[in-house]
Amino acid sequence: MDTNAPAVLRRRGIVRWTGLIPFALLLLAIVVVWLTLGEVFLRNTIEEAATKFLGTEVDIATLNVNLADATVELRGVSIADPFDRMRNLVEADRVHGVLESRPLLEKKIVIRTLAIGGMRTGTRRRTASAPAPRNGFAAATLRSLDRWAAQLRKPIASFTPIDTIRSIVLDPTQLATVKRAIEAAARADSLQQALTTSYRALALQPVLDSARAVTTRLSGANPRTLGITGTRQAVTDVRRTLAQVDSARRRVESLARDARTGVALVDDELHALDDARRADYAFARSLLKLPSIEAPDLGGALFGDVSIDRFQKMMYWAEMAQKYVPPGLLPREQPGPKRLRMAGTTVAFPKAREYPDFLLKRGDVALAVGGRNAASGDYVATITNVTTMPALVREPTRFTLARRSTAGVVGSLDARGVLDHVGGRIRDSLGVDASGVTLPTFPLPGLPLRAQLGQGTSRIDVLRMGDRIAARWTMRAPAVVWQRSSAPANAPAARDIRNQMEALAVRVIEGINDLEVVADLTGDIARPTLNVRSNLDRLLAERLRAVGGEELATAEARVRTQVDRIVDERTAPLRAKADSLRAEGEQRVADARARLDEETRKLDERLKALLNARGILGLPNDE
Amino acid sequence: MLVFLKLLQSLIKELHSDGTPLQIALGAALGAALGLTPIANIHNALIVALLLVLNVSFGAGMLAWGLFVPIGFVLDPLFDRIGHRLLVETPALTPLWTSWFNAPLMPYTNFNNSVVLGSVVGWLALFVPIAALVYYLVVRYRATYGERVRQSRFYRAVTASQAYNVYRWFSPE
Repeated sequence: MDTNAPAVLRRRGIVRWTGLIPFALLLLAIVVVWLTLGEVFLRNTIEEAATKFLGTEVDIATLNVNLADATVELRGVSIADPFDRMRNLVEADRVHGVLESRPLLEKKIVIRTLAIGGMRTGTRRRTASAPAPRNGFAAATLRSLDRWAAQLRKPIASFTPIDTIRSIVLDPTQLATVKRAIEAAARADSLQQALTTSYRALALQPVLDSARAVTTRLSGANPRTLGITGTRQAVTDVRRTLAQVDSARRRVESLARDARTGVALVDDELHALDDARRADYAFARSLLKLPSIEAPDLGGALFGDVSIDRFQKMMYWAEMAQKYVPPGLLPREQPGPKRLRMAGTTVAFPKAREYPDFLLKRGDVALAVGGRNAASGDYVATITNVTTMPALVREPTRFTLARRSTAGVVGSLDARGVLDHVGGRIRDSLGVDASGVTLPTFPLPGLPLRAQLGQGTSRIDVLRMGDRIAARWTMRAPAVVWQRSSAPANAPAARDIRNQMEALAVRVIEGINDLEVVADLTGDIARPTLNVRSNLDRLLAERLRAVGGEELATAEARVRTQVDRIVDERTAPLRAKADSLRAEGEQRVADARARLDEETRKLDERLKALLNARGILGLPNDE
Repeated sequence: MLVFLKLLQSLIKELHSDGTPLQIALGAALGAALGLTPIANIHNALIVALLLVLNVSFGAGMLAWGLFVPIGFVLDPLFDRIGHRLLVETPALTPLWTSWFNAPLMPYTNFNNSVVLGSVVGWLALFVPIAALVYYLVVRYRATYGERVRQSRFYRAVTASQAYNVYRWFSPE
């Protein structure tokens, strides 16, 4: 082309046919990239999405996708335990899924059947799994569950020797009663100030002066000396003054009511001090570290942590289910995909009688429990209707786990559950019954002992209805072994027995071979109540009460005496102030009433004298 | 710097191409979509196809892509607001979205993402203004500085490069 020639502007039609060649090449390049890197890309995407979904690392060794028959096969799948980064929650050799093709056109995944083979639980990882993203849902859930669990934890069992308790030094400012008394005294002062101000604002003296002036002016007067006009004027003056006195009386009565209310408030404060004093008894008792020998406290202190651990894991998965399987059909917002540009919000618009975004119609899992304990063997788990939109599927998610073969030892593991998010209210239930399983080993808080539970039975039943939960964990270990702690010396449990109380506790505990623990979690999910009891704490309580009950009562009495002394000393000014306030208020009101009554009486007499003479003067009766 | 020089080269070539101002303007308006909206979406594949197949300036499209990428980043919060307003805060449109996103292939458009939908709507709204502005600028340039630049050594150096020959494959016919 001659670049020096003037540009020739041409219009030759809408389509540039030569452009089809690069367009075709571009399509070809996309197909080639898909065929060579597509599965790697898809595997990474699935790993990333599953990791984000579950909040814990998910690894996939290989992925094969067959578009012709819509099947997906994953090999070497592992899901890390969110509570232990060196363990896998589950590992599966092979996951084979048959997808329905039509929903794929709508970007929805409906898995007709899913077969998981070679599944193992609780395996060790070679490398630690990546921690959940700090701002992700999973990490936030873990943090909130830590806080949730913290509110359930019971104080560590204390076995301080009672006979060594002599006295405590209480700092008065630490006592709630003293703090409240100081605050109440300040309020009483301001109340007294307010009453004085209100009394001054009554402006009684001008009214009384005015009444006295009228009475004095009319003291020697009578209708004859005043005449008709003068008498009329005098009656009017007396009545006006009486009205002023009545008005002042109403103000006084209003002040009396305010004074009574104020005094009642101060009385309430004094009553509240009694409640605060009970809290102070408990506080002072805690300073002495007096052991609680009540069975429920002992149960919570000894087995609370291990129970909370069970419930905390269960709650994690329940929160996941609530997050990803919400009830209802309203549009749902979630963060958009990660990219250089802003992620934005992606909104799902579920539609009745259409496919949900994700549905697993049926999954069959072959699960092997390894080891050489009674629960070892092959199991078959079946799961149906797993979906992100249960309102569309209109069937709850159900799962069961049953044993197929055993390793020759009697034992069983049976689990079943229903996640019913079809209606507007969540109704989840779960039951896991395991016998012959290896139960956990854990230290007994506050004692130099570890409980090695060995094999036994464990059962968890959970029922969740909306925001309410009722869960029970029952554990029985028929051959428990109590190990003296051999942990490093700086560890709290790694110390020698310190005193006779502790020695008694250790002796009682070591005498028990058959341990049974029942933990109940009930109430509102956000603030549930945990109640743990066991055969051990009942026995321990009885023995401790027999040995230390009398000395404990003496120590408690000493504590109460000391608290009473300080509290009485610090609250006495408040009580005096309350009495003074009551007396002052009553005195001022009574004085005001008396003065007003006196003036009223005098004015009434004057009025009566004036009105008695109206007939003589020919005054009308209505005046 | 290299990107800047490439953009400058594209600009010079485009302004002196055989394309009419309308072809350049339409190419630029189409190419703006690639910069204004998140690139990895199906609608952008359609835009590229249109740039290749329609008799508009492909170079102007590529040039506009480069120029509108930073503008797209800057306008993302606005696009997010527009998209959110349309998707979530306009109940009258919910039945439309519900039927769209339950229809075959439609969910792959990612129009249910606030930034994607907002940016596409923003680009459609800006299509005519962009085309009109580019049209005006090209006409003005050609009438004032065009011939002088064409005679310059700089222009000859640019058009003599091998890349120019490749570029001409996609210049408007």
